[in-house]
Amino acid sequence: MSGVIRTVSVTRRAVVVADGFWRRRTGLIVPGLMLVIGLALVVGTVTMRVPDTATSPGPQVFPAIVAALVLVVAVLLAIDVLRRPEAATVEIAQPAAPGDVDDLDLDGEPVERRPTSNHRALLGALGTVVVFIAALTPLGWLLAGAVLFWGIARALGSQRPVFDVFLALAISSIVQLAFSAGLGLNLPPGILEGIF
Amino acid sequence: MESLANLGDGFLTVLTPINMLWVLIGAVLGTAVGVLPGLGSAMAVALLLPVTFSLDPIGAFIMFAGVLFGGLFGDSISGILMNTPGNSTAIAGTIEGHKMATSGRAAQALATSAIGAFIGGIIASVLVVFFAPRLAELATLFGPAEYLALAVFAFVAISAVVTESVLRGLAALGIGLAISVVGIDGISGASRFTAGVPELFDGIDIVVITVGLLALGEVFSVAAKRGTPDETPLVPSRGRLWLSRREFRLAAPAWLRGTAIGIPFGIIPVGGAEVPTFLAYGTERRLDARRKDSMFGRGAIQGVAGPEAAGNATAGTAMGALLALGLPTSATAAILLAAFRQYGLQPGPLLFERAPDLVWALLASFFVGMVVLLILNLPFAPLWAKLLKVPRHYLYAGISVFAMLGVYATSAKILDLVLVTVIGLIGFLMRRYGLPVAPMLIAIILGPLAETEFRRAMAVSESDPAILVSSPISVTLYVVLLLAVAGAAFQKIRSRRTVAQAIADRQRETV
Repeated sequence: MSGVIRTVSVTRRAVVVADGFWRRRTGLIVPGLMLVIGLALVVGTVTMRVPDTATSPGPQVFPAIVAALVLVVAVLLAIDVLRRPEAATVEIAQPAAPGDVDDLDLDGEPVERRPTSNHRALLGALGTVVVFIAALTPLGWLLAGAVLFWGIARALGSQRPVFDVFLALAISSIVQLAFSAGLGLNLPPGILEGIF
Repeated sequence: MESLANLGDGFLTVLTPINMLWVLIGAVLGTAVGVLPGLGSAMAVALLLPVTFSLDPIGAFIMFAGVLFGGLFGDSISGILMNTPGNSTAIAGTIEGHKMATSGRAAQALATSAIGAFIGGIIASVLVVFFAPRLAELATLFGPAEYLALAVFAFVAISAVVTESVLRGLAALGIGLAISVVGIDGISGASRFTAGVPELFDGIDIVVITVGLLALGEVFSVAAKRGTPDETPLVPSRGRLWLSRREFRLAAPAWLRGTAIGIPFGIIPVGGAEVPTFLAYGTERRLDARRKDSMFGRGAIQGVAGPEAAGNATAGTAMGALLALGLPTSATAAILLAAFRQYGLQPGPLLFERAPDLVWALLASFFVGMVVLLILNLPFAPLWAKLLKVPRHYLYAGISVFAMLGVYATSAKILDLVLVTVIGLIGFLMRRYGLPVAPMLIAIILGPLAETEFRRAMAVSESDPAILVSSPISVTLYVVLLLAVAGAAFQKIRSRRTVAQAIADRQRETV
């Protein structure tokens, strides 16, 4: 098992949770996002400054068609999500007991279950990317890249933060050497300017 | 025979030591990215696109050929070993391939897949060499209305035919089209949806979109799955590598049948190799059911051989369609089209006249790429499996670093890094809620083309929409589209039944 991420030895047991109406319909985020995109297209199309020289059909026709498509699909998708929600069952990891069968209920029938998300890990990964972007110009590629590597590894479950610091710096330096010195890409030097 | 002479010239261009090095590096990197769970051939091409900009066009495209076929093989490796096919085109081969792997025949499954990919790819490429120039001549008959019909064809085909839920396919298509209209309108010069930000005047770069959607979206998705039951387990590979004579006899006809099924699908743009791979799977299953000791459900070698050959045959002829018509029929082809544009080249009928040396060099490098891959992968297939022993968090941390590097390297704009993050989040949402990625990529690539041709056609006819259906070619395209949608709906129901049958069989065994 060395090298493979160690996970706690667990068995998966389908557990019916008395979930709320909205929990099974988080998929509404997608039509919501499309609604925002569609409205932005509508506002942008209406307020667009069209040059007098433009010939018909002008620059507004195609975006208007796209906006209509996005809005119509958003409504249909919202109806679909509302009518066919995800399963109420989620799996909760429990200490292993030998002989347990995955994903089966007492009759041996497969249980449909709703995917769950690890929000802490997701936010950790997202936060790392945001910090990387903010730090890239002031700190430079070498340090910001190391932060990116370290943070993503940590968010994905690395257990060795100190070792990771050295690994991250090594990876970041190799990239700097290979792409900046080797291929001539222009990476921001940041506070380490002059050393490289 | 003119084609052969041209191809010979292409080989002369390609077979230099430095180009061989590029194709080798491309094949290794492509396979390496393709092997990673969740990342497929499309991602391999997208991730390496910025890196190749420092090469000359011929070197870059030769490297691409290696990356593409390496990535396709990598898709199958991760599917067979981990049951996580890197691309939807590898799903059909994974069904039996993963069963072979779990019964200790992983190496044979990989070898079957590699040889199948080689046979399908080579035969398809030979056909492309002889027929792509004819296809290009045919394409000169196309005017604005016909190109619009082709683009609509590709949109509908990829959103409706390929995906599980038509609604979700159309949703992805709509989001992609919305992104594609950002920037200065090329015809009138009006600035659209840029909010006055000068960095957006050129539109959102395709590298930003692909890297965000495929790489960062996958990193976020893996993070969100950590510790939940959806985490994918890893299966070690063991056993002997070479096929026995009996296995070879079983696989050989399946390779050829798969190739025959796959080839026509690359030319008609019905969007990727999902349909032919499942058709090949269904065919093999039905043929095998006549035998007394049917191996299907227990790791049948034909179930790997057929779909793998079909998948690569489609990929091969799809490249022909891309070169001759300028029409991408898969996500990977769409990214390749973007690469052509970065070098100021527009694939399509004129490409054969304007840059023949490049086209033939690219076709020649397909052959070289496939031979290199076979040499590289047949003996080393078990070694690739070792890549999966790198801890997952380090793998994805490395992918994040390279994704950000790739985006920053193409533009040196911080705004692009912000955009890639936003698109990465959209990519995560799409994965979580079952929206396919391919329609969005096709929309971003073909959206501007559809708009330009639409406006040209309308300008010619002075806003009379009848011009859109006035030529026999466009009418035929729309009719074929309707037939294809109807046929695919029928075929999908059948192949879904086949898959449901396979799943039911498996459950019967485990219970």
